[in-house]
Amino acid sequence: MMTNGVVHANVFGIKDWVSPYKISVLALLYEMTSSKITLPERRRLNKLILPLQQGPDLTLGQFLKTVEECCPKTAYAVKLRSMADGELKDMEYFFSTLPTPFTAFDSEAYKTSVVGLFMRHMLLAYNKLSFSQVYKLYKSLQHYYHSHYDTVGDRADKEELDTPLHESELRRGPLSQKQAEYFLSRQAYLLKNDENKALRPAALQEELNNMLKFNPDFAEAHYLNYLNSMRVQDIFLSAHSLLHYFDRLILSSNEGKSNGDEGYGRSLRYAALNLASLHCRFGHYQQADLALQEAIRIAQESNDHVCLQHCLSWLYTLEHMKGSESTVLTQDSVKMAAHFCLPYLGSLDIQSLVQQGAMQGKAAHKLMDALKDTEILHWKHSLSELIEISLAQTTSIWRMYGKSTMALQQAQLLLNMSSLEPVNFGVHQNNTEAFAVALCHLAELHAEQGLYSATAEIFQHLKEQFPPHTQHSKLWMLCNLKIQFERHMNNRKYHLAEPLVKAMSALNKTEGLYRKAQVLKALNRSTEAYSILQQLQVHCEKTKCTEIIIRVMLSTAELHWESSSFSTALPLLLQALALARQHHLQSLASEGVLHLAFTQLMLGIPGQALTVLHEAMEPILAHGAVIDKGRAMLLAARCHMAVAGFRLKEQALAVDGLNEAESYFSRLSCKERLRDVHYLQAQLHRSLGQTAQSNKSAMNFRLLDQELQSPAPPVFMQL
Amino acid sequence: MKMAALCSEFGDLAQIKKQLISVISLCKERGVLHSAKWASELAFALDPLPKDDLPPEPAFTEEDAQDLDAFTLAKSYFDLKEYDRAAYFLKGCCSQKAYFLYMYSRYLSGEKKKDDETVDSLGPLEKGQVRNEALRELRVELSKKHTARELDGFTLYLYGVVLRKLDLLKEAVEVFVEAIQALPLHWGAWLELSNLITNIEMLKSLSLPDCWIKDFFMAHMYTELQMIKEALQKYQNLIEAGFSKSTYIISQIAVAYHNIRDIDQALALFNELRERDPYRIDNMDTFSNLLYVKSMKPELSYLAHNLVEIDKYRVETCCVIGNYYSLRSQHEKAALYFQRALKLNPRCLGAWTLMGHEYMEMKNTSAAIQAYRHAIEVNKRDYRAWYGLGQTYEILKMPFYCLYYYRKAHQLRPNDSRMLVALGESYEKLSQQVEAKKCYWRAYSVGDVEKMALLKLAKLHEQLNESDDAAQCYMLYIQDIFSCGEQLEHAEVSTALRYLGQYYFKSKLYDEASICAQRCCDYNDAREEGKALLRQISQVRDQVETPSADLFTPLSNINTPVRRVSPLNLISFTP
Repeated sequence: MMTNGVVHANVFGIKDWVSPYKISVLALLYEMTSSKITLPERRRLNKLILPLQQGPDLTLGQFLKTVEECCPKTAYAVKLRSMADGELKDMEYFFSTLPTPFTAFDSEAYKTSVVGLFMRHMLLAYNKLSFSQVYKLYKSLQHYYHSHYDTVGDRADKEELDTPLHESELRRGPLSQKQAEYFLSRQAYLLKNDENKALRPAALQEELNNMLKFNPDFAEAHYLNYLNSMRVQDIFLSAHSLLHYFDRLILSSNEGKSNGDEGYGRSLRYAALNLASLHCRFGHYQQADLALQEAIRIAQESNDHVCLQHCLSWLYTLEHMKGSESTVLTQDSVKMAAHFCLPYLGSLDIQSLVQQGAMQGKAAHKLMDALKDTEILHWKHSLSELIEISLAQTTSIWRMYGKSTMALQQAQLLLNMSSLEPVNFGVHQNNTEAFAVALCHLAELHAEQGLYSATAEIFQHLKEQFPPHTQHSKLWMLCNLKIQFERHMNNRKYHLAEPLVKAMSALNKTEGLYRKAQVLKALNRSTEAYSILQQLQVHCEKTKCTEIIIRVMLSTAELHWESSSFSTALPLLLQALALARQHHLQSLASEGVLHLAFTQLMLGIPGQALTVLHEAMEPILAHGAVIDKGRAMLLAARCHMAVAGFRLKEQALAVDGLNEAESYFSRLSCKERLRDVHYLQAQLHRSLGQTAQSNKSAMNFRLLDQELQSPAPPVFMQL
Repeated sequence: MKMAALCSEFGDLAQIKKQLISVISLCKERGVLHSAKWASELAFALDPLPKDDLPPEPAFTEEDAQDLDAFTLAKSYFDLKEYDRAAYFLKGCCSQKAYFLYMYSRYLSGEKKKDDETVDSLGPLEKGQVRNEALRELRVELSKKHTARELDGFTLYLYGVVLRKLDLLKEAVEVFVEAIQALPLHWGAWLELSNLITNIEMLKSLSLPDCWIKDFFMAHMYTELQMIKEALQKYQNLIEAGFSKSTYIISQIAVAYHNIRDIDQALALFNELRERDPYRIDNMDTFSNLLYVKSMKPELSYLAHNLVEIDKYRVETCCVIGNYYSLRSQHEKAALYFQRALKLNPRCLGAWTLMGHEYMEMKNTSAAIQAYRHAIEVNKRDYRAWYGLGQTYEILKMPFYCLYYYRKAHQLRPNDSRMLVALGESYEKLSQQVEAKKCYWRAYSVGDVEKMALLKLAKLHEQLNESDDAAQCYMLYIQDIFSCGEQLEHAEVSTALRYLGQYYFKSKLYDEASICAQRCCDYNDAREEGKALLRQISQVRDQVETPSADLFTPLSNINTPVRRVSPLNLISFTP
């Protein structure tokens, strides 16, 4: 058949055809309509019908096994045998006895039922067959039947040499168009929603190759191939499949639409757009940019506003990924989306805007208001994907502001929410980026509270849900590394922390650099650390990465402490504090206050330090990590000790502080810091004349000191 | 030269002729027709032997005598294409000859049934699944005999074919090599082997017998692997060795010239070929491509009519007619004939690509894309189809999208300037000037067919205000255009001269500038500007005091920047 001058493979437009397997299914259905089967068995069989009709052809052995699991004694196999062992007329007779869906009003095989539709398809396909085709069908039925029942017999000597042939040949044959469509939609759905349940990449690839071998015109298979290659990060194959898909699509879409211009012009635009997204996914930003511009140009020429809107969204995403300013573009995008009534894109844009706003230190209430407004939109249009993103975003924003309780609540909300999407194939979608982000936050929050076993469990789950080769796996990898790094640093096991830095830099360069500076600082290689920090500060000021800037400032201040130049650290700390407050970064602000108080303590104004410290105490105790709480208490106690002289009241406060710090540090089993606490306790108790307690603390100190086997660093030189 | 060393056996052409004659009779007995044809063609090209020198009939064994009647009967059925019948009567024969014919008829019977069944398979998707059912059985039987070392050259060849059809390519290569070693003169085995060799390393790793036929094979392989220079050298040596009359070699050389786009040489050879072998249809589609490229309407029309008279239901004939209509701009009819060619042989690669070109002409881009995609499916290495796809998307104004296709085409033909120019143009449209420059320069370096690369490069430099580079390119361009002799339609010598004139004027090299300006006056479109420039030059010269004598010696060494183009004397090239 020729359409548009091109030869089509599908000559008669047949979507389905009779195969021996289909005859077996028909025999089963016939049996079910005609004979008496007990109710539970019938129920099980009914559940089986749809998969049997839609699934790929099974061998007789597999088929019999599946049916017998549901219903041990059915007689349909007898019918098959009578056909296979009989003559051609037996098969013809079988088809003539099938209940005709047009007459059987009261049976399940009525023309509008699932079974009836299938039977009609089969009858139609059978009636269309020519004489030689009928004969061939009969031959293959015989082969189908005997290959199952005669395997035990004479196979061994006949086919000994045949075994090393292709495995694919021995496996099932081609799929009919219906079966292929079902297979593709199922796999695509699984890939999108829960990759682990889909076929392995290699197996899927093989299936697709098989399918394409029998029907090269099946364009959707190429698209699935593209998705599959993306899974394994194969740029070459995925680009190839994507282009192939659109080459194929151009014809079919042209055919479908009566106005040819709209038909393939549309797929051209989306082809370019998809190519852009492909390059973006692989981090080829320049290529993506070029492809995107092309898509924009074509869309402009044909006045396709919807496509243009998509392009705009991609444009600001791309700009953002390249690390440049894209707020204006995003704002434009929001306006355009509102104008063309595209709720999905519109609120996606708003979400990006909120993200950018949060980075730039916009007022918190404005951001939250914007998110709330989009929420209304989401629920109205049931955009469950965006609801998830929105929740994850709120989690992140709360975390950034240092409100761990709120963040925890939002993360739990997302994880416990039941999706609005219909659940197909028994799979609930939970592999989006939103879930990954929320789970990572959850892991970090648990780690902060010293609940490391819970953290490990979360990571175990993440690893299963987002295997290392998938798109969002980098999120949890980095998060995991950060937690481990923090843990080692707190325990002062620098040699363990150092190798993690390299892994981190592979995932995120800035983060890696910052951590490297920290390790170098801890190893007393101050010059190198300082140069890295300077470099980092310049870089981050360019990319407007406020959090890192503040952290860098604090680290630089710590470097100044090491050279005992506490006064030079002061302006830096004040600057960091101002910046943190401006961006509402509470946890970083508290950290700044701690640093400031420590500096003041060292400068010999402990009273001043105490007043400053009181300001930060409340947020730290409410939201901070356990280690921060411990550090704050320890510092407070030291300030009290310094202020106290011989005043008992102050000394008692110091004792309480130290005890509390001890409990925090022991919860983290942070032995180095515990040793310091014990030392201070011993000193304090002795000055208070409590010899027994003093001795106890001293013994604790000594035990820990022996265990650690490293000389204690000058205790009071660090926070 | 490394190719010069032909096999020493070429000294004795009479010996070769004897071998050919005996192998022809062997092939004929067994119904291996194509090999017999090839050998006969070659034998025909050599001088006839005197009666006494004719090789003796092949030895007639006891077994042969036993099977004689059955064999004769079966052979006659075989010749009438009743393969099953032939196989039935050969069953139980024990001579090698009969055994080969037995297996061969079974194989051909399977193939024939396969072709018939493709027409009425059960469903459309089953199309690809139809296969020669006999292959498996044949493989089992042949492999048993193979391990027992009971196969002769012909049966080994058949075994190889069976393996190849079953996609067991590695084993097939081994068996073909074995077959060649057993019977080197059987050209069919060599040809099958050549289809399985993918690169030069693989070719070198095979251990092939040192027979004179190996030289034919190597030449064929070099052509297949696009190593045209080596192939031509090889064929030249063969001609010198005494095969000058062979139509096979002439056609192969012509095809090789066609592959490197040496159109005139190829045309001359094809004309010679048609004189010697006027009823030949093989390779005539290539010939028609060449005529098409040269727009030789009467010749193409004559060829088409001639071929229709010989046999109108041949793929080659349909392609020639398609080309003929295409040249007459009757693209619908052209497409129709290419479709007919495809009906005759769906795996005919050239027809898919050519059909794509026709649809492009008819502005039916989507159909063109489909046709090209089909061509790629048949052969992934078809650079013309990739190039065509690129062009289609370029026409649809998607320069970035077409990059991928051009790049593919370029990968397959790294030394073809057309792909490089196309790549360069796409990059230029994407404002990737650096890449574009690289492409154009590379296109020029590999030998620019259309002579456009330098002009485009120069214009690009001009746009980027790199005047020295631009001038250099224009200079090279002018040299290039004049050195190729013939007048090209699109030549823009005037543009180049105009720019060079201005360039020299700006660099105060008035002599060179005035030469350029004068040359400009030879062209209609640049005459006015040329005159204006001349006027300017004379004005400036009047202002400056009379130039001293040494101004005529190359100034560039003294007071011009290093990168500046040395003033070339344009007088040496005359348009």
